[in-house]
Amino acid sequence: MADDGERSAKGIGARVLRKEDARHLTGKGKFTSDFKRPGQKEMAFVRSSVAHARIKSINKPAGFENAVFTADDLSDLKPMRAPSKLPGYKASDYPSLAINKVRFAGEPVAVCVADSRAEAEDIAQLVKVEYDLLPAVTDMLAAKAADAALLHEEWENNIVFETFSDDDFSKIADEATVIIKREYRMNRQAMNPMEGKAVFAEWDDRQDQLMVWTSTQVPHLIRTGLAEFLDLEQRQVRVIAPDVGGGFGCKALLQPEELIAGWLARKLECPIRWVEDRREHLVTGANCREHHYFVTLHATPDGRMLGLDCDVTVDAGAYSVYPFTNGLEGAMAHGNLPGPYDIKAYRCRTQTMVTNKPGLMPYRGVARPGVCYAMEMTIDALAREIGMEAHEIRMKNMVPESAMPFMSIANKHFDSGNYAKSVEMAAEMIGLKEIRAAQTEMDTEGRLTGVGMGSYVEQTAHGTSVFSSWGVAMVPGYEQATVRLTPDGGLELRIGVQSHGQGMETSMAQMAYEVLGIDPENVMVTHGDTGLTPYSTGTYASRSMVMAGGATARACRVLAERMEIIGAHLLQCERAEASIVGGKVVSGKGEVSFAEIGRVWYLNPDELPENVDQGGVEVTMGYRPEPDSGAFTYASHACKVSVDIETGKVKVLDYAIVEDCGTMVNPMIVEGQTYGGATQGIGTALLEESPYDDMGNPGASTFADYMMPSATDAPQYRIDHMESPSPFTEYGIKGMGEGGTIPTPAAIGNAINDALKQIGAEVVETPFTPRRVRAAIAAAQTNR
Amino acid sequence: MTELSLKINGEDIAADVEHRLSLADFIRDHRRLTGTHLGCEHGVCGACTVLMDGEPVRSCITLAAVADGTEITTIEGFDDDEPMSDLRQAFHENHALQCGYCTPGMLIAARDIVTRLPDAEEDRVRLELAGNLCRCTGYVGIVKAILSVLDQGRA
Amino acid sequence: MKPAKFEHQRMTSVDDAVKALGEADKEIRVLGGGQSLGPMMNLRLAQPDVLLDLSRVDGLTDIEEDGNRLKIGSRVTHARIEDGEVPGTTGAYMQFVASGISYRSVRNRGTIGGSVAHSDPAADWPSALLALGGHVTAAGPEGLRTISLDGFTVGPFSTGLGFDEVLTGFELAVLGPGARWGYYKVNRKPGEFADAIGAITVGAEPRAVCGATESAPFRVPEIEQRLSAGADELSVVDARNILEEHDTGFDDYELQIHAVALSRAVKRAFE
Repeated sequence: MADDGERSAKGIGARVLRKEDARHLTGKGKFTSDFKRPGQKEMAFVRSSVAHARIKSINKPAGFENAVFTADDLSDLKPMRAPSKLPGYKASDYPSLAINKVRFAGEPVAVCVADSRAEAEDIAQLVKVEYDLLPAVTDMLAAKAADAALLHEEWENNIVFETFSDDDFSKIADEATVIIKREYRMNRQAMNPMEGKAVFAEWDDRQDQLMVWTSTQVPHLIRTGLAEFLDLEQRQVRVIAPDVGGGFGCKALLQPEELIAGWLARKLECPIRWVEDRREHLVTGANCREHHYFVTLHATPDGRMLGLDCDVTVDAGAYSVYPFTNGLEGAMAHGNLPGPYDIKAYRCRTQTMVTNKPGLMPYRGVARPGVCYAMEMTIDALAREIGMEAHEIRMKNMVPESAMPFMSIANKHFDSGNYAKSVEMAAEMIGLKEIRAAQTEMDTEGRLTGVGMGSYVEQTAHGTSVFSSWGVAMVPGYEQATVRLTPDGGLELRIGVQSHGQGMETSMAQMAYEVLGIDPENVMVTHGDTGLTPYSTGTYASRSMVMAGGATARACRVLAERMEIIGAHLLQCERAEASIVGGKVVSGKGEVSFAEIGRVWYLNPDELPENVDQGGVEVTMGYRPEPDSGAFTYASHACKVSVDIETGKVKVLDYAIVEDCGTMVNPMIVEGQTYGGATQGIGTALLEESPYDDMGNPGASTFADYMMPSATDAPQYRIDHMESPSPFTEYGIKGMGEGGTIPTPAAIGNAINDALKQIGAEVVETPFTPRRVRAAIAAAQTNR
Repeated sequence: MTELSLKINGEDIAADVEHRLSLADFIRDHRRLTGTHLGCEHGVCGACTVLMDGEPVRSCITLAAVADGTEITTIEGFDDDEPMSDLRQAFHENHALQCGYCTPGMLIAARDIVTRLPDAEEDRVRLELAGNLCRCTGYVGIVKAILSVLDQGRA
Repeated sequence: MKPAKFEHQRMTSVDDAVKALGEADKEIRVLGGGQSLGPMMNLRLAQPDVLLDLSRVDGLTDIEEDGNRLKIGSRVTHARIEDGEVPGTTGAYMQFVASGISYRSVRNRGTIGGSVAHSDPAADWPSALLALGGHVTAAGPEGLRTISLDGFTVGPFSTGLGFDEVLTGFELAVLGPGARWGYYKVNRKPGEFADAIGAITVGAEPRAVCGATESAPFRVPEIEQRLSAGADELSVVDARNILEEHDTGFDDYELQIHAVALSRAVKRAFE
């Protein structure tokens, strides 16, 4: 192990500045859209202009017959199909190009190929498609109507997935005399990493292999999907994710454009590039969230929450995404709604509906921002009803530290932490008492101030047992890492996950340093390449630091043993006398550098003993936490907002975060992830929305219509940490990439409703736009 | 096609390009300076920001033909530029980037702030940054980095 | 997202541009800073055949005060106005308006003439200049003419400019040193297009404009009369009642925010 002084500088817990920064700061990052090869062609898509229709005809323009491809031309490309063993889940085909029928506006109908994107778009503009319109199903509740048009005609209704669990509420009926009922909506939005999707595909005859560079979080899954649907052997596909400009979920899926690029590269025998533009991103490739809730909370007059009864509807759009399906949102909503609270009775029904909109994709936080919002807003409604501070209700009902580990009513196996303490600290940080003391008056500008909180617990790095219970096609198992000493004593570390902003080239090197003491500067982290790294399901579900980090530690430990043995031989001492200290093998007889060990293994093996480990100084090890039910990160967010009563405009004035992700590998990165996540949560809460009209036409297809959070929308966050190590993971690390997004809509919604309580108004639908806030105020004024 | 003669990062360039070609695509696809990124192609996100005759502009909605006769500086062209060096160091130290996609445009916008508005305080910095979107950082490190460079200048 | 094909023509004089416009048998657009047209072309919402680029034309970038007229060339950028190049109280008003238009990198290219000629209902200058008063100058086959700003913007993307005319600049009213002005924009984020604009100037006579409407910005005589009579405030309720008498097509929320914009513009004018 590295000695303590050194470790604090560069190992676990150190704020090591990122190795990734240098290339990005000088414009030398390499993103997929930066690739260019002689002879390459670009794709542009003809996309459906209508939401639901039968295709009567597709007319290729004269002279461009060989530059336009439809589903008929791609008949040997299999439709994507995301299976699931979840009871009641209905699998459906997701054709890469529409076959006979279109199911959302923006669905690819034909692909056009030309030397430049502009020319490909010119051709696309000339393709004429005739449609026979069908009634569009554009609202998830309307999709339930008996006479609603069917998206998938082989089904008897538009329900793609349903869950139900009942409970006996009579056991709490005597005590639970306060009943709070609410209806909420979290509207559809889009993910919007600053780099959209992009793919560059090329057939390599020498290797007999399709080479695909793509902007993805999950290169190995893309490889598996490409091979499956292109009908290639797995060995015939290599996927490389170069620099990836953010993902947030939409890049954890195989998308039709990747399949089509692969098909064309092989068919046309030339490199094919496609770069998703922002309009495509907004209206086809990255829609998310969209939940509806009916919540009934049963509580005591002194604020004990005893029963939770909820009907959840998820608007899944037209198609199920590969490989995670569109069943995940409903399943996770069902399993996460009770949050960190100890509740006695829980009944829940989720219905996931298909509609004529783009397929819903799992976005950072997956379902939990929605359930947290529904739960936490209801807690504040209870607080207003019984005249108690909401944070006191939270603290009173949270699973106490003394009960850990704890199986929640929704079967989540909480591992460690003091949830209530995070609430207490966040309330203190935001200055709840001071805000209350100053709160009653409207300021001179006609603004009211409010304070609100949101708490959550997040299952991270959950493994085989959890994913297999969801029945999805790809279940993570043992995550592997490969470490290899270089001849000069540096380290190559190869991981199958993919880093697209999380700084894993730095944090994984910190893990290696923790075990071996090799300076992170001398650790080369390779990720995102199926040809070079161990198979992995990739980066999603806040798993990479726990899983790949754990695997890295394990592999480094085995490498350490082998180097100690070689070192002992070179030092002519007993094995037990040699150990790694400060990046060297040390014994009472002296020390050997790793460079010396590398030199001997690679270049002068004649100096090695006969019984040397033939695995040498390269090790692959697998890791899975035990149990693999997840490491549970939690946090409480508190914010102060002002509401301009006349315009309905909300401003976030202050924002305090107390989070606990167990042992922090790099607190700087933890904080960066949290701030970024919270700002996406502000987008969900106040700005971002992908509305569709009654015909299913998208209402936000540019950044002029779709409001992204700017520097003026984000506060200067304040953050404090708790560190409750998970008993189940290497070093007690918990995942934390998604958490920042989860409680933000709830905290902001609660703060708005706190501000509005004196005029009796309440908001219940995100984003809390000026129009919606004004409508709530106007409704309250009318009711008076 | 239209003839073009301009300076990019100090180098004289002559080219014959399509009339409709944007300055961004000229820089990226023709000159292979791929540090200039495209985030929206309709002038909102700021990832494509470059200097034209010393002033930041959006290269995605500026035609290459319009840049004829001008001097363009892209993220690759600031090697000897002191404010940019300071900003790069400050961005690194303040964790002002994650995926790195917005970073080139963000740095060029930041350079405009620290050179044009040496007295700017946090609110002004945020306002001036409102036209450069970052999806990863929540702007925390970016704002801190810019303020730190401004503070150095005021010290 | 790439534009359809077009021909980019560099003009060297306004006369050349006027001639080209008059002879055109295809869709032809005058290119100012291109900050509105550029996005529309990239999205293929605009697909002109020819672009007439005025960036090489001399004489369109001057700012000069001429007695009680302020002459501003059409190709003066928002950034120059933001930086205070327009003198006096009018300059202060215009500086405030300019600094709220989009973002600096757009203001460096975008021009006041381009904005008014493009006439997006949610843009600032059509409303802000209407509240100032004065004239547009335009060059056509018959030479230069002036067109009153009152009524110049006809509707969304529609102005009083003839198909063969080029907007060359503005002759604006000069606000005296004691004049008051207030401008208030309701929008979702800084730099975004306006959802509502209230623009007030109280110079020789008061002018009040309601902007960012479904159609053209319009003057609100009832508010101007109140200001003439010495009013120095306007409640939101009063503004709502006044606007309800106009044929705006506003729903309740739009009515509210336009009333707020006018109320707050008046407040700013008298702060």
